[in-house]
Amino acid sequence: MIQLFNVTKQYGQNAALADINLRIRQGEFVFVTGPSGAGKSTLLRVVFGALKPTSGQVLVGGINLARISRYKLDIMRRKIGFVFQDFKLLDGKTVFQNVAVALQVTGERASIIRKKTHQTLRAVGLSQKEGYYPPELSGGEQQRIAIARAIINDPIILLADEPTGSLDPDITREIMLLFRTINLRGTTLVLATHSRELLSNTSQRTVYLKNGGIEREMEPQ
Amino acid sequence: MFFGFWIQALRRALSNILDQRLIHFISTGTITISFLFFGAFILVWVNINAWLLEMGQSLSMSVYLEDGIGEEERLRVEEALEGLSGAEVTDYISKDKAMEELREAFGPQAALLDGLERNPLPASFELVFKEVDVKDTDPEMIKARLESLPDVEEVQYSEQWIDRFEGILNFLRTAGVVVGGLLCLAVLFIITNTIKLTIYARRDEMEIFKLVGATDWFVKAPFLIEGALQGLMGGALALGFLFGLTTMFSLQPLVTYAIPFIDIVFLPVWAVLGLGALSVFLGLVGGLIAVGRFFNPVVG
Repeated sequence: MIQLFNVTKQYGQNAALADINLRIRQGEFVFVTGPSGAGKSTLLRVVFGALKPTSGQVLVGGINLARISRYKLDIMRRKIGFVFQDFKLLDGKTVFQNVAVALQVTGERASIIRKKTHQTLRAVGLSQKEGYYPPELSGGEQQRIAIARAIINDPIILLADEPTGSLDPDITREIMLLFRTINLRGTTLVLATHSRELLSNTSQRTVYLKNGGIEREMEPQ
Repeated sequence: MFFGFWIQALRRALSNILDQRLIHFISTGTITISFLFFGAFILVWVNINAWLLEMGQSLSMSVYLEDGIGEEERLRVEEALEGLSGAEVTDYISKDKAMEELREAFGPQAALLDGLERNPLPASFELVFKEVDVKDTDPEMIKARLESLPDVEEVQYSEQWIDRFEGILNFLRTAGVVVGGLLCLAVLFIITNTIKLTIYARRDEMEIFKLVGATDWFVKAPFLIEGALQGLMGGALALGFLFGLTTMFSLQPLVTYAIPFIDIVFLPVWAVLGLGALSVFLGLVGGLIAVGRFFNPVVG
């Protein structure tokens, strides 16, 4: 599903990613970890097509990101969900509007947008809070909105960059349960985190990054 | 799908305008004033041009008679004038009538004329050469010929006025192009900057749109519509004001302003459509410049 061949991302003299070779299969749940500055976020952004590697090739679903137009990349992103540590929600829009936006950009009909948004908010446990504004909700609830927005288009890949970084342990467990459910439905999940606690509770495949390179990998047990 | 896209873009553009209503109000006001100036130039030019065209279709002359001539001499002059090819005597203004007209023109100051011992104004014939191409006729020759007639004192003709007005018209045309060009640049600058502010205000939203797979056009379209709407609103308001002003001036007889011959008309259809199209075009270009310059850094 995701293939990186000798991917390097250079910022001046510093290499955020250094000669990365990685293959993630369809339906896998992979953790990417490492200390700050190891290249976790850069790796996710390269897979998302938001950053162009300095050298090397990135293939997502068999498509070489270097060889597709900006328009096709936009269309492809509808099938790649992205969740951030800071949620990236619009405070001036309701929970419903924040989630519906991902369908609006596809030109979907209003009746379908309404129906799917209700369904997705129910799936993440926010059906009672559709009319609320993000600042009125807890951090965990805000992250659920972001997850709902990322999964409403039934993505084939979900990328999550430190999604529990600002959440307390109980909420983190809830959010991780939600990710597992999404993964069980067949979505390939790549989650970047530096939380040792999160990793100690998992048996998933884990890729350890250090100084932009893959230091080691731990296969699922 | 296609219509759905543009309807949604229009909805977002209107929402942008409402959210930034103060900025839009100020910039639409400024655009209106700019177009008002431009439109006023065209209006004056169109009116003078129409008047000149009307005047140009016929050459009119005032033939002033010598003082103290009798009825017989007057009829002889009239006969001679009627005998000229293409000429038609449209009016005879006697000395008394000329004085009466002067009194009317003086209005409250007419009492000044009471001091005159005798009427110094000459009687005159108003002569029109119908369907005469002014450019191919030498009015000086006709003037000289008429002045050689017995009992004719002096001849004045309309082209002396036309020459003067053509000069004004040429000046207005040049000034209109220069002022119009500068005003268009100003409008472009205003629209570009207003949309730049909207783009900055919508940075987060644009980032999220791109994040969930919006195409560039999906993100840009509302800003282009916003520019076009703003230009259109400015243009329409300016035309509305101009129409109001024209109607106001048309209702009030312009004799008061000592220009009795101009019947003010509003802009012709081509000018209204042209100004409307120009306002939309400038709005679109302003929108394009704004998204071209500020879109990429926002989306990153």
